[in-house]
Amino acid sequence: MATPEVLQEISHKVTQAQLARYADASGDHNPLHLDEEFAARTPYGRTIAHGMLVLAFVSETMAKSFGRAWMCEGKMKAKFRAPVYPGDTVTTSGTLKSTSDATATYEIVVRKQDGSDVVTVDATVPIPV
Amino acid sequence: MDLATLEPGSELFSQRITMTGDAVAGYLAAVEDDGDAYAQEGVVPPMAVAALVMAEALKAIELPAGAVHTGQELGFLAAVDVGAEVQCTAKVVQNSVRRGTRFVALEITADVGDERALTGRVSLAIPEEEE
Repeated sequence: MATPEVLQEISHKVTQAQLARYADASGDHNPLHLDEEFAARTPYGRTIAHGMLVLAFVSETMAKSFGRAWMCEGKMKAKFRAPVYPGDTVTTSGTLKSTSDATATYEIVVRKQDGSDVVTVDATVPIPV
Repeated sequence: MDLATLEPGSELFSQRITMTGDAVAGYLAAVEDDGDAYAQEGVVPPMAVAALVMAEALKAIELPAGAVHTGQELGFLAAVDVGAEVQCTAKVVQNSVRRGTRFVALEITADVGDERALTGRVSLAIPEEEE
């Protein structure tokens, strides 16, 4: 398998129902993600997506491109830039940033429909032989 | 929990989690991943393991409403098979206050048997309440 310069983009529309499903699946029932009244009293003003849900989209992109190499030897370093709200559509894209020794590092960006970045990630994976 | 009492080096929790097929299916449905990549390899999505450990860690410190998840590092080190029992831990590695904001960092791990399957570090920024 070659080391691609650009990874396949993946989009997801985040919904409140998805946040509820993710809370049940992960065990993270923080009311910031689930309770509109509670979230209205926070600096966000409304419910926001779990950060780990957004990172799941990043991992999905890497897993589809690199399979087991990502699942067993992948590394990611993420910075959260802005919240994702229910109703937002986010698109995950990735470009090759650097290669060194036996690894490749991709710059992954998760963007909202308005073009703003919500998460930026350096994702490193062994170079396929 | 009074976040000021979190001592760097202290363990927040240590517990076993079983990655059942139902748990994996529920996770993949929630993140809207068709799961083909994992099914082909016969392994648990590493983010499913990370999500469970993170949820336990964040529950343990009872984050206040204004807390912001600012950063996340994860390293996947070994495959976790469906049905495997995973030993998960979280410990405090940073707890400091600067300009009215508390910065807390946690280190998480997940082991299967004697093998480390996952490591991670989560960074949180929490506004300090004004006196």
